[in-house]
Amino acid sequence: MGSPLYSIPGTAPATTPVAEPTADAAAAQASPSTEARTVSEVLAQSQAGAVMDELDRDLVGLTPIKARIRDIAALLVIDKLRMNLGLQAQAPSLHMSFTGNPGTGKTTVALRMAEILFRLGYVRKGHLVAVTRDDLVGQYIGHTAPKTREVLKRAMGGVLFIDEAYYLYRPENERDYGQEAIEILLQVMENQRDDLVVILAGYKDRMDTFFRSNPGMSSRIAHHLDFPDYAPGELLRIADKLLEQHNYRFAPGARATFEEYLTARIRQPNFANARSVRNALDRARLRQASRLFADQDRRFTAEELTAIAACDIRASRVFQAAATQGPS
Amino acid sequence: MMTNPVSKITQGQFSFLPELTDAEIALQIEYGLSRGYAWSIEYTDDPHPRNTFWEMFGMPMFDLKDAAGVLTEVRNCRKGFPQHYIRLIAFDGTRGVESIAMSFIVNRPASEPGFGLIRQEAAGRTIRYTVHGYATDRPEGERGIETS
Amino acid sequence: MAIATGASNGATAITDAKRRYQAGVLKYGQMGYWEPDYVPKDTDTVCLFRITPQEGVDPVEAAAAVAGESSTATWTVVWTDRLTACDSYRAKAFRLEPVPNGPGQFFAWVAYDIILFEEGSIANMTASLIGNVFSFKPLKAARLEDIRIPAAYVKTFKGPPTGLIVERERLDKFGRPLLGATTKPKLGLSGRNYGRVIYEGLKGGLDFMKDDENINSQPFMHWRDRFLYVMDAVNKASAATGEVKGSYLNVTAATMEDMYERAEFARQLGSVVVMIDLVIGWTAIQSMSNWARRNDMILHMHRAGHGTYTRQKNHGVSFRVIAKWLRLAGVDHLHAGTAVGKLEGDPLTVQGYYNVCRDSYTRRDLPRGIFFDQDWCDIRKVMPVASGGIHAGQMHQLLDLFGDDVVLQFGGGTIGHPAGIQAGAVANRVALEAMVKARNEGHNIRIEGAEILRKAARFCGPLQQALDTWGDITFNYTPTDASDFTPTAAVAR
Repeated sequence: MGSPLYSIPGTAPATTPVAEPTADAAAAQASPSTEARTVSEVLAQSQAGAVMDELDRDLVGLTPIKARIRDIAALLVIDKLRMNLGLQAQAPSLHMSFTGNPGTGKTTVALRMAEILFRLGYVRKGHLVAVTRDDLVGQYIGHTAPKTREVLKRAMGGVLFIDEAYYLYRPENERDYGQEAIEILLQVMENQRDDLVVILAGYKDRMDTFFRSNPGMSSRIAHHLDFPDYAPGELLRIADKLLEQHNYRFAPGARATFEEYLTARIRQPNFANARSVRNALDRARLRQASRLFADQDRRFTAEELTAIAACDIRASRVFQAAATQGPS
Repeated sequence: MMTNPVSKITQGQFSFLPELTDAEIALQIEYGLSRGYAWSIEYTDDPHPRNTFWEMFGMPMFDLKDAAGVLTEVRNCRKGFPQHYIRLIAFDGTRGVESIAMSFIVNRPASEPGFGLIRQEAAGRTIRYTVHGYATDRPEGERGIETS
Repeated sequence: MAIATGASNGATAITDAKRRYQAGVLKYGQMGYWEPDYVPKDTDTVCLFRITPQEGVDPVEAAAAVAGESSTATWTVVWTDRLTACDSYRAKAFRLEPVPNGPGQFFAWVAYDIILFEEGSIANMTASLIGNVFSFKPLKAARLEDIRIPAAYVKTFKGPPTGLIVERERLDKFGRPLLGATTKPKLGLSGRNYGRVIYEGLKGGLDFMKDDENINSQPFMHWRDRFLYVMDAVNKASAATGEVKGSYLNVTAATMEDMYERAEFARQLGSVVVMIDLVIGWTAIQSMSNWARRNDMILHMHRAGHGTYTRQKNHGVSFRVIAKWLRLAGVDHLHAGTAVGKLEGDPLTVQGYYNVCRDSYTRRDLPRGIFFDQDWCDIRKVMPVASGGIHAGQMHQLLDLFGDDVVLQFGGGTIGHPAGIQAGAVANRVALEAMVKARNEGHNIRIEGAEILRKAARFCGPLQQALDTWGDITFNYTPTDASDFTPTAAVAR
């Protein structure tokens, strides 16, 4: 096949083709403007530095995670330089696991990671597709493969984030379709590294068990990032940021009340770090609204409309529960 | 072999050019995705000009961001049907269009037998024409298998 | 910019009925055809006329006269007006502006009530709008520049029988302009020789061949002969390429009966398309449109004759108005200019014609000569045809100007190829596909076009020959009909 001859019957064969158009196309495909030779050139061309700075600025705490991301970014930048000098043959494996308790910032960091990988040219589009077992695994025979492939296709060019990935593996049911999804994932993670990056996320202990039973998966994950719980001070700073985003603030004394609230809440079950902070603030906003609503004839100042008062927090059931439990 | 200037069936957007490489196909897919089209893969062993409904290789692919997903399926389809015609089709769902916006062939059999023209003479020098595909001379299950 | 209304003597309508309907001659303004405060209703048709009043004629009175003569008025007062609700029948000139850089010329906006036009009849609409008024003595010249047709009236038409979307589905051709060629020489070929040209062009890679406007049934080639040979060529080419092919069989004839007979024969032979000329008139066009709709036929319209009234800027009817009427009347293909070829056409103005054919909703666009928003109410889209003195070397300009939804017709540019008609067709098809591919890959074809063609010519000898033969041919004359708002020169290079 290849080049057509454009031979017209009854005439001599048309001029022989001279060019190899495939070479042109290949050139059109991969054309980095100018090849960077220094770290700062790579950072300037990609603007990945800006994303990392944002990450530092916007996300409270997470010091070890931020350090790991800087390490990974450094590795990618150096790989890029090596590639530009022809020293690197293969794209690095970038699949990752994010472990940690709920609300420790795994999804948020995954979004930033997708952006960084995009800026550095390790994924082409930089979008994040977040899924769970239900999106990948079907209900009957022949259902799983198309479902998993569909998700993989949507994620291509970006990052596939599988939350609570260990649910894919159910050893108690040997005919569970999750295994099929795992196998397809593995195949794509191995063969199409250029096309997408997979991030598996979940609780640390369960993920460890999952990796022990699925050594194939474990060996394809290059980077394990463990997200620590936030310290109370960090949670308070998160609360400040969240309020600021919504144009609220703590009224005098309210911040201290919220700190008390956090101390109590951490000890109670199902504490979910930043997520619990957000939920608590949402409820405080509700209470603030009800409080103001009762005062029907008053003209509120901006001050009043933006202030979360101590009483809005104090009314939480968390305090009552803590009181009945007594000091433990 | 067919006798037209490119010795092959000339359906689709790019039949007069050298066969597109996968990298070139990816660029076309990207163009379609950037315009919001949904890609679909179809294959057939009967490329009659009025054979509209080729077999669908899976469902049309909605909500993709990147060409790699489509290209993966093209490769799967080629693996399954190496001696069939395979085409990529882009659907545009915009009101007032709601039809196909792009279509080009991405796989062909090694040899393309082409078509014969059957003439049935009727009254008043009129002729009724039938375009007959040589590929369909063999039973359905046995086409697209390389002979010779 | 509007003309002050008070300044014009006798521009104000007389409201006292007794005085208004006294026998005698009144100014049109006094009769109520100038109504500066009038706000057109959604159901009104609005026309924009360019008028050149005779020396000494008040422009306001001239505008009122246009409104009067294109609706209910006669030169004198008639008492029978009072038997009707004549206020609503009167067209109303409601706005007047001097034409920028057009001394002595004025734009006049005139609104027409929906009751004035019979539903689904372009013949009736044109009889009013361009019936008497263009011969009216107080005007040196008049031109219907643009028209806003209300949704309510649009919906009384069925529009194109096939439309460009369905046409593509029937032909199985998507994502690129279609390619055609007009058989040359226009006159004199026998049916047998004629069919040869069709076969060579289609087998070489064109989608369509075309009869020229003046090929009907002359002594050198009877129409039946032409149809029989052409359809043999079409089917043979279809088998040779595996593509659906077509050739516009011109069924234009002296009478409707003849046209129906010819169209019927084309249908029997399995043609996908028939062709008519604009000179057959609105009634015949709408009849043929109905016939095409009944018979699943693409209806190709050659705008033969339009230049007599569309070309001069000061007098006649703009082609954008003709295009709007033809879309309503129901044609599938319409020759709408090339901008780069041998026939008249400023690029932006021509793009305006194309938009009128293809838009779902046309927005006011003064540089393209479009004065009104026009809702097409989901009526099908017309495939514009670019034909006349264009060649493969202009492929990038054509694709850039007109996009994918167009038929590019290279008559001389196919048949005049030094290596023959098939080679000419190959050159055009390769140039087209290479350009579409490059555009989709993200190349700026306006800048890189010539280079893309040269590259393609490296693997395609026939294209190289075409570029060697015609590469430098341009028709670079100043267009006579450019927009008044941003004058442009014809595309050179």
